[in-house]
Amino acid sequence: MMAPSKSTEIPAGWIRASLARARQACQNPVLVFLAPALLIYTGFIVYPVLRTFYNSVHVLRPHNILEFVGFRNFAELFRKDPVFWTSVRNTAIFSVVGTIADVAGGLLLALCLFAKVPLARAWRVVWFTPVLMSYVVVGIIWVWIYDYDWGVVNLVLHWLGLGALEHSWLGDPSTALWAVMVTHLWKWLGFNMIICLAALYALPGEVLGAAELDNCGWIAKLVYVIVPMLRPTLVNLLVLSFIGKMMIFDLVWIMTGGGPLWSTETVSTYVYKRAFDWNTFDLGYPSAIAVVWSIIILLFVVLMTRLLSQREKLEF
Amino acid sequence: MTLWIAHLRRTPLLLFIVLYTIATGGPFVWVASMSVRTTPEIFANPYALPVHLHWNKFMDAWTTSNYGTYFWNSTIVVVTAVAAVTVIGAMAAHCLARYRFRGRRTVRFLILSGLVVPPQLLILSLFQILLDYRLYNSLTGLIIVYVATQLAMTVYILEGFFAQIPQDLFDAARMDGYSDFEIFWRITLPIGLAAIFTTVTLNFIILWNEFLYAVVLLTDDTKRTLPLGIMHFMGGHQLDVGMIATGLMIAILPVILLYAFFSETMIKGMTAGAVR
Repeated sequence: MMAPSKSTEIPAGWIRASLARARQACQNPVLVFLAPALLIYTGFIVYPVLRTFYNSVHVLRPHNILEFVGFRNFAELFRKDPVFWTSVRNTAIFSVVGTIADVAGGLLLALCLFAKVPLARAWRVVWFTPVLMSYVVVGIIWVWIYDYDWGVVNLVLHWLGLGALEHSWLGDPSTALWAVMVTHLWKWLGFNMIICLAALYALPGEVLGAAELDNCGWIAKLVYVIVPMLRPTLVNLLVLSFIGKMMIFDLVWIMTGGGPLWSTETVSTYVYKRAFDWNTFDLGYPSAIAVVWSIIILLFVVLMTRLLSQREKLEF
Repeated sequence: MTLWIAHLRRTPLLLFIVLYTIATGGPFVWVASMSVRTTPEIFANPYALPVHLHWNKFMDAWTTSNYGTYFWNSTIVVVTAVAAVTVIGAMAAHCLARYRFRGRRTVRFLILSGLVVPPQLLILSLFQILLDYRLYNSLTGLIIVYVATQLAMTVYILEGFFAQIPQDLFDAARMDGYSDFEIFWRITLPIGLAAIFTTVTLNFIILWNEFLYAVVLLTDDTKRTLPLGIMHFMGGHQLDVGMIATGLMIAILPVILLYAFFSETMIKGMTAGAVR
């Protein structure tokens, strides 16, 4: 027998007061404007994040049974999971090398167009196209480009007389990660190029003019004038690019699925595999990976922003 | 004479520009040509131009390979989610930019912290939560998740813009007897239209291309969005390069068409979140 519900005993005065409060709330514009955003945000961002943290200290058994295991998932992750460490290594290589190449490449492309070449606007529109395409489209096209038999990479190598370099780019564990990185670079270079170009046009012209008067070579001009002056923009791009690459999932999943031999396994693809592909139905362990990795990403973002933008104020 | 030498010195630069243009644009031209060629033709010579234009491949893909369904699913999900996130985000941004209330900084921090939440932290429990709410494997569930994940970026861009609208306008409107909602509807929205257009573009492209949430949250073939549909087809017909190319083209075409007409707007929209 259940205890009688307490709702019947609420005094009438309380109901009247709460109704009045509700009516008042409807007239409060702040609440009306914010309510939809806050509701959806709490329900589908805040709650899932908290639940992931909660899951990470449990093991989920079938039929929704949660077993509390404390930090055992984390201990297993750090001590007994070589695949996790492989994925960390791959993601780290991908993020560090990829980010530097991304921003440096974007800046160089922007400089090409900044050098007053003809048709600069048209080039930049074409160069930006890959940014708009989905990873599925880009991934499939590049799987074909890397194809051993008829891919354009091997064809060009053959045509150049470098047949010895022909390679199964995505099939060889030693080149697969780099091949995926090149594809990722190809997709995002246009993005960095546009932002660098906008920043270049915003530079005060007299500074560049002065550098030219001083007979400054273009490499010196780049290193001593342009890069320091673009510093805030470049730091911003570095952080953005780094975050994106630390979380890379789609492109790897589509092109290699983490293979061959874990050589392109990233942390995100590993989380996905542990959660949905391994048929263990345990969301606890992958949640632990996601929690650890997210904290690492956040730490890096804070660290990078602090370290790199320290000397933001330049004296001209 | 000097001009001629100056041009000669720039030849490597121009050559590089042409090469890079081929590298970025070429693959799309290649896919476009393959999309109207049959697979045997492609295997005979992958890089030949189309001799006969097999437009019927698009019809085949659309009906027999289910691309029609995928396309409409994508359209429904993206249009609804973009509309919802724009309205909800604009209301929140207007509120954060215009009102001084207790807890404003907390609310602002809470919503903007969504900018740095990695999807991995959400995806596993969203799977559980949508199962609990019976929204798993439904377009509605995916739409809600899309709105939630794009909210932070939308509010961030819009708030920055709305905050620059001069306060005098709002004071004048207030004196004319506009209600709070009228002020939002008749002042903030029309003036902020450019910014709203920017977020619409950005959200549209991101969601049209979205893969991770869709692959986790949808399972039925009839509910797949376009990226999932292409992956699914690819998995089943690895060697049918011609049809896969047609499928790719169905996903690429709308974006390319929009880009041809609104290239500057789209470039501006896509890069909006990165310039501070």
